[in-house]
Amino acid sequence: MDEASDVMPSELPVERRQRHTRDRTASLNSLSHFKSASSKHIRPRSTLRNRGSNASMKSVGSDTDHSEIISPIPRRHLLQTSQSLHWLRVDTSSGDEWLNRGVSPVSASSVGSVFPNNRMANRLSFTALMEHERTAVGPSSTADARILEDDQGTIGAGRRFVRWMHRNNMKNWVVPSAIVASTLVKWCIGFGTYSGHNTPPIFGDYEAQRHWMELTVHLPVREWYTYDLQYWGLDYPPLTAYVSWLCGRIGSLIEPSWFTLQASRGLETGGSKLFMRATVVIFDLLLYIPALYTFVCAWQGTRSCRKRHAALLTLLFHPALLLIDFGHFQYNSVMLGLTLLAINAFAAGHDLLGAIFFVLSLGFKQMALYYAPAVGSYLIGKCIYLGPVHGTRLFLRLALTTTLAFVIMFAPFLPPFSPLSTIAAPIIRIFPFGRGLFEDKVANFWCFTNVLVKWKRIFASREGILIKASTGLTALGFLPAVAALIFGGYKTRLRKGAQNHSVDVSPSMAPASPSSPTPILPLLPYALLTCSMSFFLFSFQVHEKTILIPLLPLTLLLSGAALTDDVFLWGALGNNVGVFSMWPLLKKDGLGLQYLAMLILWNRLIGYNPFKLRYGHFVGLLSSVVHTVIIILHLLELAVTPPARYPDLFPVLNVLICTPIFGLIWLWSIKRSVEVSWAISGLPGKREKEPSSTVSAISTTSSSATFGQSPMRGEMGVRATSLGYASGRGRGQADARRRALVTSAGGDREH
Amino acid sequence: MNTVKQSHSSPTDELDDSQKPHAPKSTSAWTWLNFLGDVSQSEVDVLLLSTAFKFLLFPAYRSTDFEVHRNWLAITHSLPISQWYYDTTSEWTLDYPPFFAYFESLMSIPASFIDPKIVDLQNLQYDAWTVIAYQRLTVIISELVLGAALLRFIRVSVDPSRQRILSVSLFLHPGFLMIDHIHFQYNGFMFGILLWSILMACEGRKLASGILFAVLLNFKHIYMYLAPAYFIYLLRSYCMSPAGAIIPTRFISLANSVLLVFLASLGPFVLMGQLPQLLSRLFPFTRGLNHAYWAPNAWALVTAADRVLLQLVKHLDVGLVVNESGIASTSRGLVGDTVFAVIPNIKPIHTFIITIIFQMVYLIKLWSAPTYKSFVAALTLCGYASYMFGWHVHEKAILLVLVPLTLLASENYAYYKTFVIASVAGIFSLFPLIFTPAETLLKIVYSVIWGAMILYPLHKQLYEFPSSLPWVLLESFENAYLYGFAFLQAFVTLFPLMTGGNPDTEFLPLMATSVYCAMGLIWSFIRLSTLYIIEQY
Repeated sequence: MDEASDVMPSELPVERRQRHTRDRTASLNSLSHFKSASSKHIRPRSTLRNRGSNASMKSVGSDTDHSEIISPIPRRHLLQTSQSLHWLRVDTSSGDEWLNRGVSPVSASSVGSVFPNNRMANRLSFTALMEHERTAVGPSSTADARILEDDQGTIGAGRRFVRWMHRNNMKNWVVPSAIVASTLVKWCIGFGTYSGHNTPPIFGDYEAQRHWMELTVHLPVREWYTYDLQYWGLDYPPLTAYVSWLCGRIGSLIEPSWFTLQASRGLETGGSKLFMRATVVIFDLLLYIPALYTFVCAWQGTRSCRKRHAALLTLLFHPALLLIDFGHFQYNSVMLGLTLLAINAFAAGHDLLGAIFFVLSLGFKQMALYYAPAVGSYLIGKCIYLGPVHGTRLFLRLALTTTLAFVIMFAPFLPPFSPLSTIAAPIIRIFPFGRGLFEDKVANFWCFTNVLVKWKRIFASREGILIKASTGLTALGFLPAVAALIFGGYKTRLRKGAQNHSVDVSPSMAPASPSSPTPILPLLPYALLTCSMSFFLFSFQVHEKTILIPLLPLTLLLSGAALTDDVFLWGALGNNVGVFSMWPLLKKDGLGLQYLAMLILWNRLIGYNPFKLRYGHFVGLLSSVVHTVIIILHLLELAVTPPARYPDLFPVLNVLICTPIFGLIWLWSIKRSVEVSWAISGLPGKREKEPSSTVSAISTTSSSATFGQSPMRGEMGVRATSLGYASGRGRGQADARRRALVTSAGGDREH
Repeated sequence: MNTVKQSHSSPTDELDDSQKPHAPKSTSAWTWLNFLGDVSQSEVDVLLLSTAFKFLLFPAYRSTDFEVHRNWLAITHSLPISQWYYDTTSEWTLDYPPFFAYFESLMSIPASFIDPKIVDLQNLQYDAWTVIAYQRLTVIISELVLGAALLRFIRVSVDPSRQRILSVSLFLHPGFLMIDHIHFQYNGFMFGILLWSILMACEGRKLASGILFAVLLNFKHIYMYLAPAYFIYLLRSYCMSPAGAIIPTRFISLANSVLLVFLASLGPFVLMGQLPQLLSRLFPFTRGLNHAYWAPNAWALVTAADRVLLQLVKHLDVGLVVNESGIASTSRGLVGDTVFAVIPNIKPIHTFIITIIFQMVYLIKLWSAPTYKSFVAALTLCGYASYMFGWHVHEKAILLVLVPLTLLASENYAYYKTFVIASVAGIFSLFPLIFTPAETLLKIVYSVIWGAMILYPLHKQLYEFPSSLPWVLLESFENAYLYGFAFLQAFVTLFPLMTGGNPDTEFLPLMATSVYCAMGLIWSFIRLSTLYIIEQY
């Protein structure tokens, strides 16, 4: 995992005042200095605090010899970076991955990134510092508790498997075997039936996908979106059509009768089924699994190898996606995989690449629009963060790239290739506003409230109002996420003065390049969750399958969380309820058994037991109650046939259970966004007073000896991540009240 | 990787969480399993995850055995006991011993509540979702017997970490997955009883061991292959003192217990005077030497040699008498008498005599060294000899060898290597059972994962560097043989595609599989026999 580990120890004691060029090695050097300094600070402070003394941070800091080098501290991965739970008084004691592991240079530098230019190494979180403090206080208490907890089986089967593999010297085989095993499970889900199996004349999603392959192979491009719309007309963006064309071509090579025009409608021979199932698995292997792997590397590069492997297992067996893609039959993994690649590229600082991936994702399924506000505002936030010059430059580049990508994607429908009027057909097909507010029973706001307020009847003739209302509510729903990102970008923006100053101090301190990550990056998963959930809850024409889109960021967050974290509990609850919300659909498809099997498998894998009572934990109690209700409902459905008056009794009950949970997750996500952005950029009300006195900001490149004298503001996002330390030191002049605020709230950046 | 060094690694590294000093704690939800000792979380993992995976296989391909068992449910539920062995409504008549019939009868009671059509005798080829789910579920539930026995093996083992790997390997054995959960049979349950019986022998409760084996015989008579080893072992170590004097009380109690078991099973049919009919159902001596697909034993090689000789005779025009009926026989995949074209024909009595001769050798050794280890080895070898030289052996019978052989695998490297060759060849020889394309991928991938997860850790622990040049050469030959399976699989997959299903050459992949597996299995048989004979117990 580490090319970095080779570099670090040898170069640790190198530089004093001279600044290296900003290559990887130099930044690692500086990083280690930074960490060594901070760890040195925190150790005595924590002991003092342990004794109950309210010692001033400053006095402790001044006692310390900065030049002394102590072993570096491991850092938290990106998803946890801003989990400043400490100052929120949430106990994370059991969530620390290194408490029972030796602190070593190797684990510190385990930035196992697949991206060559990963600057994540520069980031050290507030929480990481706080956790180190706890480690210093006494591993004897917490670590022992942790080990005990481990043995009582509070870790998941996935983690145990990873541990066993590592112990048996099969560390390198964990990832391949996990991928193979998950592919095997996906393949086996495919033994079951699919959407519209053996139900002529219209069949289901399987037939839709097959039909698209059939029509794209046989028809010219301009007729794709207009051909026989009554029978599964193409209503996904062009990339789906291109992919269908490719599959159709390959399939026709194997067996032409699978995709003959008209004649192959409703074809369900063994061979064609096998081929269709195989295409999903192959696209999954080509796109989604590499995306997951790069995600684990890019976003969790600082975690231990075992944790990362366990996280990969969690993601690989994501039940909702597996059931829909490999059971029900769709290609969601392509869309989600492309989005995932996009956010991985963002994490690695390749914004343009990320933008292209996201456009591809949009081009595969318009449902990726659910993510669009988050992605867009992240990029805008980044532009703001970079400042007027670089920000504008990045903005223009992004705009150009995105437009170009869209144009290329729609090129066959545009003038040189076809008349301009052709473009109307795909656009109309992609956005079906004519289909009503909602169709089936979906666990969203409209369907939920429809139990009491019959929206369709009230607004029978005024559909326009409903459309406007849903658009407005959706926008309102994702506004917090958008605001958090843009505001975060604004609050942490690079300042011209600071930059000049830094250039004065060291010529090598070039202004941050657009390819470096921003401090607002940790907000991105929450923003994705908030946005997509808001779309799911409030927007128009939502399908139950669409829950996959909010579930992706939720699962990403879950994969990075410790077993007792709130994030984990919400993530597991959300996933289980998400799968449950698709139960009517899966039942119709004949996938009840696969539903059960996947839920057992995944929950056991991640080690989630909803029935373990967690008193004093809102979400813990909630999930116990919800899971009990779900099981009772399933049993009732088995035993009781619904009365003739209410044939939809069980789907409606399903909606009534699921919607509040989704709503709560949406609210929780907003709350987390606020917390995280607070941690990143400080309290919203605080204004900065004098930029020159920002001693607190620690430069990544300042050596420990010159610590505090070179205010490298906003450099590489370090400012945001060094807050924990920053707030703890160099503030002797400030009044006691402020100090108290800072030590308790910790997030204050400006002073 | 320096495997030699790894083999010396401390065994404490391998301990799972349940062996740590603080450890063995099961969560309250699983305390009811405590009669097996403390069930560790990782064991629950294996159970739950594999069960979830097996659920996914419900809709997979199933052979006619599925309908056979459904029909038996119907027979035992809707007919009086006197009719069980006479009914011919379906071509799949009841041909297992009475305990299995009772077992089916028991299972038919819930089935009739779930869906009365399952137990309708006339409802042939019934394949509704209810019957599939129900029957598949009974396999999973009855397999818990196997799981429980394997857990007990871990508890009583002197080296739990290795035994844990072996136990998991048996519970997740690709053979069980293919035969029970795809093809459809109840082997997991049967071998569960067998392992309980062996476990009793291991714990020194030999009377219980004998009774359990008698019960097993009355579930499925194929286990008679193993009976000689049981007979000698129990006679020598239970009924006789070490000096060689018979202990009458023990002998009588064992004899009476076994007799009682048989009475419970066959008694009703003896009373009704149906014994001859029952036996004719159990032992139909109307089949040929080989099964449609030649089980990879000695006769497969002989048959293949006959085919080759036939071609030689045809082309070289040697003045040999060729049996005309033999030309059309074999290799066509027909069930029936195998008639050789060149080589003299084999009669059932020949196979019987050869089997007995081989078994005698092992039994003599067992008589002189009636220890548990020796017993397991002799048991394996008895099964192995029957598989190698038996009349009309089915490829599924390889489990009779692989299951007890697994218990020996962690003895030392020689046993381990024997186990590896037999397992790889044996599992591969089961592949033709599952021939549908979707399940083909499943069986290959599953077997490869299983092999990697089980064989690698064991190999690491047991590896010994060969001591002299011949052994080095042997080792490399064996490894080359094992790698050859990848090419064989490639050949089997690609050959039909290349020839486009030409019926003249259709038999070739099957024949190649059979012959190649037979070479490995015979070599492993020789290895194991030698090991057993030379080992000092």
